[in-house]
Amino acid sequence: MDPKLRISSEALAKSSCQMMGDPSRNFNLGQPFIQFNPTNLCYGGGPEQTFPEFTPTPDTETHGLYQPEPQVNSANQFKPSPNVDTAILDWDPRLILSNLSFLEQKIHQVQAIVQSIINQEGRLSNRANEMVAQQQLVTADLTSIIIQLISTAGSLLPSIKNTLVSTNPSASRLGSVIGATPSFGLNVSQQQNAVVPMEVPKASACDKLIDNLNTNSCGKEGSELIKGLHGYGNEDVELIKCVKSCDGEGTELAPLEDHDVKDSDDGVDGENLPPGSYELLQLEKEEILAPHTHFCVICGKGFKRDANLRMHMRGHGDEYKTPAALAKPNKELTSEPALIKRYSCPFVGCKRNKEHKKFQPLKTILCVKNHFKRSHCDKSYTCSRCNTKKFSVIADLKTHEKHCGRDKWLCSCGTTFSRKDKLFGHVALFQGHTPVLAVDDAKVSGTSDQARANEVMNGMVGTLEYNFAGSNLDDVQNLNIKGVDSGRGCFSPMNFDACNFGGLDEFLRPASEVSESPFSFLPFGSSNLIQGSGQN
Amino acid sequence: MLCSAGIPASTPSSASSTPSSPSPTSSLSRPEKRRKTAALFPNYSPGKVTTMRNPQPSDSILTVLPVDLLVQILDRLPDTGDRKSCRLVSRGFLRAEALRRRALRVLRREALPSLLRRYSFALESLDLSPCPALDDAALAAAVHTSGGLRTLKTLCLARATGIGWRGLEALLAACPRLEAVDLSYCVGVGDREAAALAAAGGLREVRLDKCLGITDVGLAKLAVGCPVIETLGIKWCMEISDLGIDLLSKKCRDLKVLDLSYLKVTNFCLQSISCLGKLEDLTMVGCSQISDEGLRFLKNGSNSLRSIDVSRCSNVSTLGLVSVIEGHKCLQKINAGDCFPELVPPFLTMLGDIRHTLKVLKIDGFHVSASSFWIIGMDCKHLEEIGLAKCKGVTDQCISELVTHCPGLRTVDLTCCHLVTDNALIAIADHCKRLECLLSESCSLISEKGLDRIGTCCSDLKEVDLTDCHINDTALKCLSRCSELTMLKLGLCPNISDKGLFHIGSNCRKLLELDLYRCTGATDGGLAAIAAGCKNLKKLNMCYCTQITDEGLKHLSCLKELLDLEMRGLVHITSAGIAAIAFGCRSLVELDVKRCYSVDDASLWALAQYSKNLRQINISYCPVTDMGLCKLLGTLRCLQDAKLVHLMRVSIEGYELALRASWDRLKKLKLLGGLRHFLSPGLLQMLKARGCRIRWVDKPLVLGV
Repeated sequence: MDPKLRISSEALAKSSCQMMGDPSRNFNLGQPFIQFNPTNLCYGGGPEQTFPEFTPTPDTETHGLYQPEPQVNSANQFKPSPNVDTAILDWDPRLILSNLSFLEQKIHQVQAIVQSIINQEGRLSNRANEMVAQQQLVTADLTSIIIQLISTAGSLLPSIKNTLVSTNPSASRLGSVIGATPSFGLNVSQQQNAVVPMEVPKASACDKLIDNLNTNSCGKEGSELIKGLHGYGNEDVELIKCVKSCDGEGTELAPLEDHDVKDSDDGVDGENLPPGSYELLQLEKEEILAPHTHFCVICGKGFKRDANLRMHMRGHGDEYKTPAALAKPNKELTSEPALIKRYSCPFVGCKRNKEHKKFQPLKTILCVKNHFKRSHCDKSYTCSRCNTKKFSVIADLKTHEKHCGRDKWLCSCGTTFSRKDKLFGHVALFQGHTPVLAVDDAKVSGTSDQARANEVMNGMVGTLEYNFAGSNLDDVQNLNIKGVDSGRGCFSPMNFDACNFGGLDEFLRPASEVSESPFSFLPFGSSNLIQGSGQN
Repeated sequence: MLCSAGIPASTPSSASSTPSSPSPTSSLSRPEKRRKTAALFPNYSPGKVTTMRNPQPSDSILTVLPVDLLVQILDRLPDTGDRKSCRLVSRGFLRAEALRRRALRVLRREALPSLLRRYSFALESLDLSPCPALDDAALAAAVHTSGGLRTLKTLCLARATGIGWRGLEALLAACPRLEAVDLSYCVGVGDREAAALAAAGGLREVRLDKCLGITDVGLAKLAVGCPVIETLGIKWCMEISDLGIDLLSKKCRDLKVLDLSYLKVTNFCLQSISCLGKLEDLTMVGCSQISDEGLRFLKNGSNSLRSIDVSRCSNVSTLGLVSVIEGHKCLQKINAGDCFPELVPPFLTMLGDIRHTLKVLKIDGFHVSASSFWIIGMDCKHLEEIGLAKCKGVTDQCISELVTHCPGLRTVDLTCCHLVTDNALIAIADHCKRLECLLSESCSLISEKGLDRIGTCCSDLKEVDLTDCHINDTALKCLSRCSELTMLKLGLCPNISDKGLFHIGSNCRKLLELDLYRCTGATDGGLAAIAAGCKNLKKLNMCYCTQITDEGLKHLSCLKELLDLEMRGLVHITSAGIAAIAFGCRSLVELDVKRCYSVDDASLWALAQYSKNLRQINISYCPVTDMGLCKLLGTLRCLQDAKLVHLMRVSIEGYELALRASWDRLKKLKLLGGLRHFLSPGLLQMLKARGCRIRWVDKPLVLGV
């Protein structure tokens, strides 16, 4: 796997990708190509949406044309479908592979163009027009590559995977359709590019990059673009071969799906925003721990995402089906550049709390959620293998379970390492820590250890061992706050009904994924339990 | 020797014990002392000690003396035998001894509990290395009965293969002030034992040579548990790698002495070691992955290093040592033996930087020339020891260049310098008046002419190795002028006869070690002279001196101090001679009678009866039978090492029985490979579980010498 891709997928995760259930903006093939200006791709995403000539029509019906197979998306979640569960987990590595190959081809192409520019530079100094045109072509290609890359990476994330499946043509169809139309490459880019801006609504680095590219390529002429895009179409024929030859190999990409929100909150941000340059928000504890933030005014059902709510609203009447109602509500407000938003942890004393001397803001709401759960909440998820490690974020548990049992190098503090040199580095760093002999295992998992003793004394999960791992070191205090309990009763019982009703609700998905995984430790009922406790 | 000769073998105090604190030397001469002892014990008479075990008469002067005075008396008795006699005849002295004894060396497991109980008051040093059949349970029980050894500082458990972590934990828990532990050659010791050691946090000195089970993890435990450790020996601990050394050097900043010999460590570990600011002694014998590049890390040292030993590191040259000298200007000892054998000019130049401190230089196996010796001699005027074993190109001129400028030389090793002649010896004798040790094995060109000068000039000479030098009786006569001689090796000198040995015996009365290997000219008369003159002889090798008979052994039987006797291939000796030795040489610890074809069961019976301290025996090829073997192995409580190859008259059942009778104390065993399939697996398992290592040999039976 290309490490760059990995990074971009993480970056995407950081920007709290709220993949909407919206259907893709299906560009009509007959549309003039001038409309496929990369600027338009940012539709709905960046605040600088100033291209009124392009009016997308988010139409689910047309989308259906592209999806003859019964695909599940959140739009049709109210219509019970027989293969709902399988579709949720449907993720085609072949599609990813084809996307990647596509990218590779494109990059080679751009390379060739740039090379030719270099070659021409010496002798064709007077043909400035051509140079400009070629530059624009390169810019357009690069933009396209970046967008494609982001979209591919985004499809690896479980949180948006469902939606992506619904918006992208499935891989099998990719092969069958590509040959039919020479401009299919354009087609694919259009679809995926249209999706991208919605994945990054938070004006993150991705957005800025795209904006940059947009401004550069604004004045380009359509003809060049057509040239370039036709090129894609030709190469897609090769791509199909590639996909076919790679049948069945794509599964190795699967592990990437867990790189969702892992490193998003507590890592050193690196950004040094001056205090006044951003809008600082502080959510309340209850708000952070609430499973849903958007509620239906009619039936009361809660949603994590605004878009899902809008999809849901369609079922309440025709007035919710208009494009205006389905459009992103704050779209109109984006005409003026919004202030960057940063978040503060509500826990006083925490480094992420605005009162702290060395305050470091959190970037997104997702960061806030993960940070708060990790640092100030009970660790309610216990690893079923070792029965010692506990986590408050289920993704952390899943990551741990992948490695649990493989870490044979154990320190007396309870931290395990997969490599001896890492353990020795750890032991060298901390006073009084010693490696644990294999035969002493029983002793450590018992109560002899200091960290263990602490835990027993507190009668709750100690955060010590987690701290030693170094992932939480910037937190000054490690207190076990029973925030979950104190927030009890904030939500109406309607939520429970809604949850039971919406078996497809996004909130349920992590739990159901866990039960699907080889490390299944929670029966389905218990996943409901978790959900219930999360709602308290 | 007041009365130890009269004590029967069944005396209850069977454990010999030696005091570590050197007693103040008594000003009394021997006859005076005898009179004094006689005054202390009214009914004392040398011949009737056995009767002294009765309760003391009430009118004894001892009853009125307070204990502290008795302690004073004991302190003034320099001879251990004398003190033993006092303990044996008086409860007062026994109590006094319990108050003053600092060191204890236990020879019998049975005696351990009572000894620890009695001497736990002031005991500082405990040596359990010769104690046979010591296991965790016995040790823990003994420690328990002692009620804690609160003053113990030094503990030696070398070769105590039966000891595991349980025993160590029990022992260390009872010794809160322990500072030094020696677990060398306990091959079974591993990480758990190291972890047990780590529990005694105050350890300063730890020896773990050839503890094969110790890995980086065990070393890490030790390093974390004992941060004040100063001396650490982990020679032959093959599992330890750079990682462990790295952690060690990070955790134990006070380390002064470190022995990493034969470890599979690389240059990386030297980088870690270079951070040890107090390191004085670094030994890295046979670390083949260390190179000059690694030694370069020591370049920026803090002048702390006093001694470096990189011998047998095949990838190290003197160029690497240049960097070491650059960082450590106070080096006293350099051992580069068997490294890359070139003395590079930068090294010779750098020697000038340490001219005031360098005392020991060993360059075994190097290619040398007279010019380089001239430089060494000019630079290192304070040299006390030079090692040139197997050097190529060592001539008389080289030696004279060296010794003219180094008058302080005390040890000269010329082993296998074949070109060296009498002229070199004369040069040495003329310049090095304080010479103490001359090793000239295989210098076949030297003769009585050179040794004459040595004997005249070097009156301090203590150790001489003339193995394979073809010297004659005249040379011995010259050498015998060195009355301080303690070690003399005359192996493979067939020209030596009784005449030469007579000179040695009559003049070198301090001799402790004599090697007559294959001196076929030596006969019983020579042995008589040696036995008469060298009363303190501890080690005697007379293998293949085929003329020696039982008569010679009878002469030797007066050597009370004899510990180690090797007499392989003495075909003329019989049970009578062995019995005389067994009866006379009560201290005997090691005995080798391999290929003595006339030694039979009767000899073994005698040994079993009298040689209670025998620890090692080799009776291979001897015509002993089942009975003798069973008696020997079953009776000798100290026997730990037995070589029993090609005992033609011993049956499988005989082996089985004998080994079963001694399975719990045997640590090393040498047997014919064929027996592997005939001895019961249970027995072999038992032996193995006890830490006994069996060496199976597959040699054809060849009789003859």
